[in-house]
Amino acid sequence: MVAMRIYCNYLCKLSIFLLLAAVFFLHGERTSASANDAMTQLQKSVDAILVILQSEELKVSARKEERKQLVLELVNDMFDFQNMARSSLGQTWNTLTPEEQNRFVGLFKNLIEQRYIGKIDSFDNQKVVYHKQLVKGDRAMIYTDIVDKDLEVPIIYKLQEIDGKWLIYDMKIENVSLIVNYRRDFESIIRKEQFAGLVDKITQQIEKSETPN
Amino acid sequence: MNHSVTAHILILQVYLLSFLLIGGAHAWAEDFNLNVSGHSLLAAAETSPETSAKTGNSTWEDEENWEEGWDEAETIADPLEPLNRLFFHFNDKLYYWVLKPVARVYSGIMPQELRISVGNFFDNLLSPGRAVNSLLQGEVKDFSVEVTRFVLNSTAGILGLGDFARDVLDLRSSEEDTGQTLGYYGLGGVFYIVWPFLGPSNVRDSLGKIGDGYLNPVIFIDAESEVTFGLWTLDRVNYTSLTLGDYELFTETALDPYVAVKDAYQQYREGQIKK
Repeated sequence: MVAMRIYCNYLCKLSIFLLLAAVFFLHGERTSASANDAMTQLQKSVDAILVILQSEELKVSARKEERKQLVLELVNDMFDFQNMARSSLGQTWNTLTPEEQNRFVGLFKNLIEQRYIGKIDSFDNQKVVYHKQLVKGDRAMIYTDIVDKDLEVPIIYKLQEIDGKWLIYDMKIENVSLIVNYRRDFESIIRKEQFAGLVDKITQQIEKSETPN
Repeated sequence: MNHSVTAHILILQVYLLSFLLIGGAHAWAEDFNLNVSGHSLLAAAETSPETSAKTGNSTWEDEENWEEGWDEAETIADPLEPLNRLFFHFNDKLYYWVLKPVARVYSGIMPQELRISVGNFFDNLLSPGRAVNSLLQGEVKDFSVEVTRFVLNSTAGILGLGDFARDVLDLRSSEEDTGQTLGYYGLGGVFYIVWPFLGPSNVRDSLGKIGDGYLNPVIFIDAESEVTFGLWTLDRVNYTSLTLGDYELFTETALDPYVAVKDAYQQYREGQIKK
């Protein structure tokens, strides 16, 4: 009987120990995995943008420009515009001089900003849901949904780790890759009007939004 | 005495069992990670970064597609380009001059909650078609999900006005249609078509739309064509009212909006078919 009780006590303690060990182990793994994790980084950046967008003080029209600049600053930190500009040009990129390449990166960045800055004004408490990430070496894909007025829009981010920092170099919204879409768009211009024509078109496009409408 | 022994052994067994279950669920989740991404149970399991980090290397099924898969969507032939551009222009004007103003007035009258419900109602009518097409593509699980969704949302969701199946049971639609089934059996888009009023399509998806028409329960009410057209218009206006601004932003920031929309349509459909 006594032996039974000791045995039983032992089982009880062992099971508690196992449980504690498991908790400790899982917890340890979590901290080590998330330290430089692509999804954690993306989440942090997106959350920082959401804080600005949700801030009631910044919503007043007098601070509209400040709000825009704050968001742009964070966005600039998240994207690898050099990489994006290069792949959106395809083969044409290699035929350019370094100066032309630099100038094009700037233009491309403005073009992207123009498309997504419009979204800032229409921001209406959309939520972001993070589903999963797939990591392979220095590349990662992060699957998310934006929930907008009950509609779920799937967005997949493609990131590359550069100097310990994960930078977005493409994203797929409803299966449509941003870079591929710009590449097709640029190709059609280059085919008719060469690279110079493309630069003119983008410059005009950017000026269009700078004139108040 | 015997009582307490069995009680303790029972507790231990419960512990062990739960460990096994968690481990098993985890392995299962890893196995089906890519196939049922985002589906019900897994969605919750995969939001935590540590599981994803582990699945990252072990379940990378389409390894070769990592780079190429992303850029795979091919350009579609466009022999009708002059005509398509004409209709694109027509639809564009239709949007700015008719659809958008109407949608604005409509959203002024109808509260957002109600518009979401109207959207759900029309979405629910697509469920039978989705169920049939899931089955035609051999997706038995999606088939049963669609049937369940249709039954529950038409009853508990009150004529499909609420998405009960999604909100309560986390059953999500597979978004299948006849065009995707044709694509699944190897039919390509053939060439790009822009229909007046209907917008971007291609040969395959135009055929698919005919099939979808027959799978929509609206056909059973045997209504006059005016009623069908009225319902279709309400669906369009309602959807536009919920997505105001998206079309403008996309086309106005593209250099050649016609090309940008053509490619977006192509990538969007290819992505749906591959899923």
